[in-house]
Amino acid sequence: MSVDLIGQAEQAVALTKAAGANEVTATITQSRDVTFEYRDGALENVKDTTSQGLAIQVYAAGRYSSHQTTDLHPDRLKNFVAEAVAITRALEPDEFRKITPEELFQNRPDVDLDLVDPTVAEISREQRLAWCVAIDAVARDHDKVISATAGVYDGSSQSASVSSNGFSGTERSTYCWYGSEITLRDQGDRRAEDSFYVGGQHIASLPAATTVAATALQRVLSRLNSVKGPTIKTTMVVDAAMAGSLIGRLLGPATAWRVQQGQSYWTDLIGEKAFSDKLTIVDDPLIRRGFASRHYDSEGISAKVLPIVEAGVIRNLYVDTYYGRKAGMTPTTGSASNRRVGSGEKSLAELLADVGNGVYVTSWLGGNADSTTGDFSLGIRGHMIENGQIAGPVGEMNVTGNLRDLFSRLEILGNDIYPYSATLSPSLVFADVDFSGA
Amino acid sequence: MTIKRRDFLGTVAAGSAVITMPGFLSGCGVQTATAIASPTPDSPFMEWFGVDQALIAKVMSELTSRGADEADLYFQHTRNNALTLEDGIVSSANSSIQQGVGLRVVIGEQTGYAFTEDITLPSMLAAARTASAIATGRQVVTPQSFSPLKAGDLYTTTVPWADVGIDQKLPVMKFVEQRAKSKDPAIEKVAVYWGDGDERVMIATLGGKLVSDHRPMARVTVVVTAKKGGETQTGFSNIAAREEFSWFSEARLSTMVDEAVDRTLIQFEAKRPPAGEMPVILASGASGILLHEAIGHGMEADFNRKGTSIYSDMIGKKVAESFVTVVDQADIPRERGALNYDDEGNKAGRTVMVENGILKSYLHDKISAKQYGLKPTGSGRRESYRYAPMPRMSCTFMEDGPHTKEEIIAAVDRGIICETYTNGQVQIGAGDYTFYVKNGWLVEGGKITAPIKDVNIIGNGPESLKRITMVANDARLDTGGWTCGKNGQSVPVSQGIPTVLVSKMTVGGENVS
Repeated sequence: MSVDLIGQAEQAVALTKAAGANEVTATITQSRDVTFEYRDGALENVKDTTSQGLAIQVYAAGRYSSHQTTDLHPDRLKNFVAEAVAITRALEPDEFRKITPEELFQNRPDVDLDLVDPTVAEISREQRLAWCVAIDAVARDHDKVISATAGVYDGSSQSASVSSNGFSGTERSTYCWYGSEITLRDQGDRRAEDSFYVGGQHIASLPAATTVAATALQRVLSRLNSVKGPTIKTTMVVDAAMAGSLIGRLLGPATAWRVQQGQSYWTDLIGEKAFSDKLTIVDDPLIRRGFASRHYDSEGISAKVLPIVEAGVIRNLYVDTYYGRKAGMTPTTGSASNRRVGSGEKSLAELLADVGNGVYVTSWLGGNADSTTGDFSLGIRGHMIENGQIAGPVGEMNVTGNLRDLFSRLEILGNDIYPYSATLSPSLVFADVDFSGA
Repeated sequence: MTIKRRDFLGTVAAGSAVITMPGFLSGCGVQTATAIASPTPDSPFMEWFGVDQALIAKVMSELTSRGADEADLYFQHTRNNALTLEDGIVSSANSSIQQGVGLRVVIGEQTGYAFTEDITLPSMLAAARTASAIATGRQVVTPQSFSPLKAGDLYTTTVPWADVGIDQKLPVMKFVEQRAKSKDPAIEKVAVYWGDGDERVMIATLGGKLVSDHRPMARVTVVVTAKKGGETQTGFSNIAAREEFSWFSEARLSTMVDEAVDRTLIQFEAKRPPAGEMPVILASGASGILLHEAIGHGMEADFNRKGTSIYSDMIGKKVAESFVTVVDQADIPRERGALNYDDEGNKAGRTVMVENGILKSYLHDKISAKQYGLKPTGSGRRESYRYAPMPRMSCTFMEDGPHTKEEIIAAVDRGIICETYTNGQVQIGAGDYTFYVKNGWLVEGGKITAPIKDVNIIGNGPESLKRITMVANDARLDTGGWTCGKNGQSVPVSQGIPTVLVSKMTVGGENVS
């Protein structure tokens, strides 16, 4: 670490205590981010930045508030914490607002999460440019290409957190992503567009840039001559790359906050079978090289594997200390880490063959869900499935229903887990889904 | 919601805007209030940022040392404040300060960008060298001094948010909560989220302009949860504007609360509409989301100069009936999307995108305007000093047409009315767009017959424009707190529309036969 972040966080804690806080947690962050974007044969955007920040959580006189700043000038920092404490004192007291209890800091795992690749800091301008050129050559290798952008995004971040009741921790990770976004001439004024990016903490784990570009081109070629799909009740196959966002919508209200506020269809379901017995979801912060891996959560709670749904039965919710106290629930963690969705035996091709006819969803377009009722309606594009094969591209369709009901009709899961996401899910097959189209 | 440490990390690292609120101790902020009260002849913010003309000239020279067509320094200080009321008490506050300077150099379509949060000469020179690395030419002539442009007056405030104490805000939040609770015994919970902010921007350009803009923002949201029998429903409403504290009048807040309660309670009776294609009536106001998604984004000139928008070859063509005129206008006083100057230092104004059915103009930043040989439309915006600007919307709306709301409803035999929304999205190239309807109505035989809820609507931009068959005379801008996201950057926007009939759109629904 280039500077003593822990020392800075400790100083912030001392400063805030001196300003009158009873308890305080301080986090110092630093990051470096580099962007190279190369469009149609020429470098278009280069961005190279370093950033810093301080966040404090203040507990004073039975009250609580939180504050962030990017201005770390010592004189002004003093004013910042003084004002933070004054703001806290101006609020109403709340018996549930307390700093994270020390016992939740205990038993912090020390497994090596392998989140740092030292070579990321050494990526040269020439290397980024070489990736861009390689991607560009493959991405534009088709006569229908109007424009293709190659992007390389890499950097690192580090943070240190210290609390007045004994918490101390540091986190560090690197990242490198690359890929391409491509637009093709289609019917009339329409363009077909799609993108594909891969990334991870470690450069060596990434597929070749040319392979990624070829996938991007293949994806957008598959969109040519898309038509509006039918209004139909049929089987839905959600591609593994798109399953993560649907799982995210399902789990969105699975928090003590939503439950305590009366805005969750997960209320009163712990121990109940709420979904298909095919559904198992585990929150796992300890996956080596996981996108959301960590040793402790945003409140300093030591990381542990947390089953959320087991064979359709709800086991746990995301419970932070504040809403846990309010709702009478034992804290687990208030913030999601990696999610592992239980997978099946079959490849995507085998799933499609089993399904026979239906709609294969390859991307979402807008839409939303009501966390209180679980009612959802989402725009989609994808392909019809005919005779067990991927048929022509379709779009301008919505899929509509209720999340709990939808996930009770989860019938098959693939073995094709999508690796470039914190939600590790395979393709999902749902029966009897309402689509609206032509 | 509780703001947790992880959220802070995300905020600090990624620069996404959190809704938070400014301090209440005057003279106790990052810089003192007196610094603003005694402006130098240059810019009211020179002293605020602790810089002067000579220093800016030095950094500009370094930034353009390898050549430039355009270059700018974007100084920004933003202070946001948020308060949360849940379960009857205001027991959580958040404040956030973002300060930094973004440095940009442009050569043709190429952009080099860097920023620093340490506003000192050595740090700015280092960032300037980093940004300039994209260029390979020679030093250009740079201004030795910068001419301050006249400050805009679209959202001048008498009391900055820094001088409004929490003790003034709490009663407003309590009023909102109490009014909501008293409206109906079915209401179980009320949450109130307060956000206010002051943003100070100073832009120095290679052309020698010095632009300063003080941008206030205020927003209040109320969320209502009601229970009837075993069923629970949640609804919300919010209002937002570039305003000061006095804007939160009882009347304005009451209207917001009543809307939230009505939207919540009606859901106990609401059903999903049938699925499929049907005529869709867009109620006046928030339905401007149609324009934002179906045409607005596709008219942003960065997509068009790259040829990636479905509208890339349509300028001058007839795209809608002659009574359809669609405008993006930044100089509407105090609207959430209003801007005196854009984030490249150009005067922000009115751009007619569609005039009497003819596609007229894209929304340009400096890069696209140069490529098209046009004047910029003042549409270059950025989320913060962390980002380079790009063409964006401000306040997007459709002007009044020849019909009435009553005529439009009477003209529909079987369709829906869309009234409130949560979000929308568009694919720029294919032109397919969606928006999510939270509340609406079924129309049968020319009459409103039943409430509906929770449906996504999907359509194709140019096709939907052609299918606007009736436009009423009741245009209004929505007062909701809309935020537009593009390429990872969020900016505040406004939208509006009169009551409009689109003859065919695809409605997400159930009851598929």
